[in-house]
Amino acid sequence: MSQAKSTGAIITEQTARMRPASKRRSIKAALEFYLFISPWFIVFVLLGLIPLFYGLYLSFTNYAGFNMDRLKFVGFDNYIKVFTDNDAMYSLGRTMLITCINVPASMAIGLLLAILLNQNVRNIGLYRTLFFIPSIIPIVAVGTMWRSLFTKEGVINQYLVQAGLEPVDWLGYDYAMLPLFIMLMWGVGGGILIYLAGLKAVSKELYEAAAIDGATTAQRFSRITLPLITPVLFFQFIMNIIGSLQIFVQPVLLAANSNSLLSTPIRPNYVYSVHAFQQIFAFNRFGYGLALLWVLFLMILLFTIVIFTTSKLWVFYEVEQEGK
Amino acid sequence: MKKKIWSTMLSVLVVSSLLLISACGGGNNNGASGNNSSKTDNSSNGGEKGEDVKPSGKRVVIRSTMYEPEMTSEMIAEFEKTHTNIKIERVEADYNKLMAMMAAGNAPDIIRAAGVTEVPGYVLKDMALDLTTYFDSSTVFKQNDFLPIVNQFRFDKATGTHGQGAIYGYPKDWSPDFTIYYNKKMFEEAGIPLPSSTEAMTWKELIELGKKLTKKNGEKVTRYGLVYYNGNIAAQQDLLNLQLIQSGASMFSEDFGGSDLTTPVMKELLNFWVDAAQSGVGPSPLHQETDWGGQLFVDNKAAMIIAGYWFSGFLKDNQLTKDRIDEFAVSPAPMMEGGTRISPSASGTGAIISSKTKHPKEAWEVFEWFFGGKPAEDRAKAGYGLPATKTLMNMLPQDTPFNKMNYDFVQNELKYSEGYLKYNPYLTYQAVNAVFDKHFTPVYFGKDTVDGAGQKMTEEINTLINEGKQLIGTN
Repeated sequence: MSQAKSTGAIITEQTARMRPASKRRSIKAALEFYLFISPWFIVFVLLGLIPLFYGLYLSFTNYAGFNMDRLKFVGFDNYIKVFTDNDAMYSLGRTMLITCINVPASMAIGLLLAILLNQNVRNIGLYRTLFFIPSIIPIVAVGTMWRSLFTKEGVINQYLVQAGLEPVDWLGYDYAMLPLFIMLMWGVGGGILIYLAGLKAVSKELYEAAAIDGATTAQRFSRITLPLITPVLFFQFIMNIIGSLQIFVQPVLLAANSNSLLSTPIRPNYVYSVHAFQQIFAFNRFGYGLALLWVLFLMILLFTIVIFTTSKLWVFYEVEQEGK
Repeated sequence: MKKKIWSTMLSVLVVSSLLLISACGGGNNNGASGNNSSKTDNSSNGGEKGEDVKPSGKRVVIRSTMYEPEMTSEMIAEFEKTHTNIKIERVEADYNKLMAMMAAGNAPDIIRAAGVTEVPGYVLKDMALDLTTYFDSSTVFKQNDFLPIVNQFRFDKATGTHGQGAIYGYPKDWSPDFTIYYNKKMFEEAGIPLPSSTEAMTWKELIELGKKLTKKNGEKVTRYGLVYYNGNIAAQQDLLNLQLIQSGASMFSEDFGGSDLTTPVMKELLNFWVDAAQSGVGPSPLHQETDWGGQLFVDNKAAMIIAGYWFSGFLKDNQLTKDRIDEFAVSPAPMMEGGTRISPSASGTGAIISSKTKHPKEAWEVFEWFFGGKPAEDRAKAGYGLPATKTLMNMLPQDTPFNKMNYDFVQNELKYSEGYLKYNPYLTYQAVNAVFDKHFTPVYFGKDTVDGAGQKMTEEINTLINEGKQLIGTN
């Protein structure tokens, strides 16, 4: 008993002696961690976080770009105006419509192309490169290219006229959304890369086992591929929704009157970010424009939370998630 | 040992990132402490002399937003050679960046500004330094030599009158911007007599002429009859403002406190431009283009262009036109039927000095050199725009038949260049453009009427005017 007691005392003594040393080590480790991240973190705080919250503060003022010395606090006026501004609500509706079409369409096309590019065929690397190229071309160049194709005097109408058909006013009221969607679909290459990574991660053994069991191609896709790439689909879904809700440059570049970023897209393509941009940079309503953008941010946040919450029902992870 | 290396590297990283951040921050306005600056003598030598070295030997940095081709690094180096106390730094700043710089207390000293469209707004926003006493005491600027365009940099704050009162800036160069450059060959091909170089056409005649010169393949336009350098052949504030002053009207009230785009004159003009756009005579929301009017003209995709004297310089330099320069000629700005013949500037590009400058004397020294010294002479001799004084006007090039034609033409056109376009000082140029884009574009597509769009534009512009007045504190 006494021997046990003395052994215990020795251990406690040793632990007590070790405690300050381990504490020092952990402080040092923490210090090293913060030192490591500090260059990025300092820049993030100064150029990201502070301007972000400064923007939030300005959204409660009448800031117009030049009146910093006589700034007036306007409470929630700018936020109330968001919901009473017909153009804001209209543009929000158009943005939602574009999102509802663009997200499923771009995901379906992206996945389909990724499946095709996942086949073992000759020169597959070349095809993958070709499909990926559009996503690395600067958006302004892409917009200018599509605009020159779709103008009334553009290349597409030239072919139509040569074929004996009437030219179409692609950038006019009746067809304006079509060039926009074509332009958006043209850039799905970036997503293909992520789908491909997901498809490559699916074990071949599973397909072999399914084939032995007599599963058809469709069954293999629906029972193996699709469930196993749901984490990738989940990621793509969120990113596509965020991207679609923030869509800005494409409608501006396809505007009937496009000559700068302040150009107003034709009414069917008049989206929320364009409205916010115009309030800030054309009308100098900086405070109101910032309120519009914070409302958009909150909407995106809400969508993301809803998707994350429902993801438990349809996203399948091969490994157990931490904290579950 | 390894850990030591790591921690040394990390420390270096942290310190360097902090240095980087502090360097990025404000306060780079001055190359020297502000206290020294006031000791500089207010030399009014047009920038030709510069013995006034600071006692401390430090240089004052004057930041300017003039564009690179206007204020080249060679010009700056030449200035700095003789003005050892001043360093000129060129900064890029569009309107919004400029506002952000002003808000951050980091305003450039010399701000590029268009006398016609921007100066009143800058004055009302307290951004412009009153330069009246500087001009009065200057030996470089002779006020009796000034052309009327200089008045576009005057604004009477008390009465809100543009063109009168204190002077806040000066034009670099300018043009009667609504003259008609045309391609003689295209007229000859169409069997149409060349327009007069002295007698103005009416707007209706101009559009009719444009229609005759327009080439179509079915619905598709292959060559426009008329283009405008700064936008579409459609309802656009520059063209409307010109037609309105020629008719003795305005889209704004006398005190700029309100607007009405539903008046009979306004409706007639709006209908005129809807018809023009629908005819396909020029680019419009119905006939979209990716290039600006000047490019269409040099590409032989347009027969006439509404542009100023500066466009002759563009034609002389352009690879596509410099070897066939004699194919082009110029005709006066069109006028309203029964109206007054006025051929004004649409811009009058120059600069103001920021009211927030910490070095007004040095900024004026640079200003005086750039607008009144050798650079002004060089600009006049090159002929890329009209100078702001009668003396410099004589230096415009006349050495070639094309230059002589432009010179003679402009001497006659100047007789009609005293009228001013009416832009509202409580609105930005971009705001009015955005309102027209948003509400008037549906009219071309038959989705709204001129009356309906006119009403919507009036409401939105009046809201913006009220907001502008409130912000400036005049409401």
